[in-house]
Amino acid sequence: MIRIENLHLNIEGKEILKGIELHLQSGNIYGLLGPNGAGKSTTIFVLLGLYLRSSGRISVLDHDPKDHALDIRRNIGVMPEEAGFYNWMSAPAYLGWYGCLYGQRQSDGDLRVLLQKVGLGSVSHRPIGTYSRGMKQRLALARALVPHPKLLILDEPTNGRREIHDLLLDFAARRKAGVLLCTHLLDDVDRLCNRIGIVDQGRTRLEGRLAELLVEQGGGQRYRLGLESAPDTANLPARISLLPSEGGWWRVELQPGTPGGPCALWSELWRRGWRILEIRSEASSLEELYFNITGPNSSHIHEEAL
Amino acid sequence: MKTHWTIVKKESAQMLRSQRGLLWLMAFSGLLSAFSLLLVSNTELSLLDNAQVVYMMAGTILVAGALLAAILGADAYAGEKERGTLVPLLCAPVGVNVLLTGKALGLLSAWGVMFVTATPYLWAVGASGQNLGAALFYLVLFGTPVVLGFGYLAMALSARTGTVLASLLGTVTVLMLAASPLLIGPGLRGTIIGHAMDAINPFAGALNTFDSVIIDSEPFTAQAGRLLLVAVWLGLCLLAARRSAAHPNFR
Repeated sequence: MIRIENLHLNIEGKEILKGIELHLQSGNIYGLLGPNGAGKSTTIFVLLGLYLRSSGRISVLDHDPKDHALDIRRNIGVMPEEAGFYNWMSAPAYLGWYGCLYGQRQSDGDLRVLLQKVGLGSVSHRPIGTYSRGMKQRLALARALVPHPKLLILDEPTNGRREIHDLLLDFAARRKAGVLLCTHLLDDVDRLCNRIGIVDQGRTRLEGRLAELLVEQGGGQRYRLGLESAPDTANLPARISLLPSEGGWWRVELQPGTPGGPCALWSELWRRGWRILEIRSEASSLEELYFNITGPNSSHIHEEAL
Repeated sequence: MKTHWTIVKKESAQMLRSQRGLLWLMAFSGLLSAFSLLLVSNTELSLLDNAQVVYMMAGTILVAGALLAAILGADAYAGEKERGTLVPLLCAPVGVNVLLTGKALGLLSAWGVMFVTATPYLWAVGASGQNLGAALFYLVLFGTPVVLGFGYLAMALSARTGTVLASLLGTVTVLMLAASPLLIGPGLRGTIIGHAMDAINPFAGALNTFDSVIIDSEPFTAQAGRLLLVAVWLGLCLLAARRSAAHPNFR
């Protein structure tokens, strides 16, 4: 769906992007990570043809944005970082109007269903100006979904509500569509994305499948467990390893890609006699990976795990 | 073509249904009411010839229209940017020219509303009604390109600078420069400098046409040069707007 290789962009003589790599296939949710000013939003604008690349190769939905920007935009739903609306309109009126820009006429029923999906069904009659910031974020997601896109681009969605996550997972799986999620919320990436790219100072530092990158990093998600009594540590399930305990907490590490997720492992541990009273998550290995790449001691070497 | 109308629909509704649009209409009606009252009740002004009064009223409507165009044009890109609505618009499959045309048609609809609002005032101050038809016809023929030109100029600045204040200040400055030769009196206007300014100033071109047809009852053929002047003005402003709108300052 998206293939970007060695993308460079100069704006007013200044090199903004210095080698972006991005590969997104249908059905995937891609997490584009990076600190503020790393070039994530600029990359999106190049994808949409709003900035013209200086060099490099780009293909979005089999088109080059330089020549076919409108064809590309017709099939992409975008949720920009800033969620601006015409405050005097109601949500259904606005979404109906926005759909017309894509040449699509939405029925009232379709709009009602969409607004209910994003949790705005009960307030849809109110002018948008009366919405809270969070509600506007959800309306921005609805706006991105209005044209029934093949590709969804979300730039810094700060609303990590569960129903929004479910909506994205459903969108990517059911429609065989792609999702490009630019965010600094590593939890969201951990939960949703199967491929990531880390961008820093206009350059891709790391790109690949999340599970493989985490394995390469040499670790999984770490947890602290509060237990009723000392457990039997000799008979641990696969994909879980014991770390040195600390301050009365038993520390474990879960390998990435565990079938059923952590919950399945907690059940297994319970069956093996671990009386778990409390579970706390430590910094994930994605966090470690991210800060290794973007932190002051980063190696700044572009790796790729295919 | 459908997308044009989608944008026009929003622009017109924003003008007519928003608080700002209603305030503008009220201010415009208030200005025309005050001016009309002055023309008919002031001892000295009431002695003016009927044609002279209609000419002054047409000039006032043109100035108000140009000012409205400056405000709406400045808002077209920079206002959308400041409200965070420009990026969603640019992310949609809307071509540069389609967006610009939609905005321009929205501006024209606002000018149309102003024109309709102004018509009864023109009729009221021109008691005999003999110059009303000419005033309305030439207000459409010359006023529309002048107003639209100022709108395009404001859009060009708006798309380039990305700030409403800068684009509004820039356009209003040009508007004041264009209108100033009319305010500095007939003495200077009679000189070579005055003639030269009249020859290149579209605003003066439109007002001189009103003078010529409403007061002096000159024929349409005598206005060809001035019509060309306002057409060139419109063309140049459209080119500037298209150039800026192709690469708008959206961040």
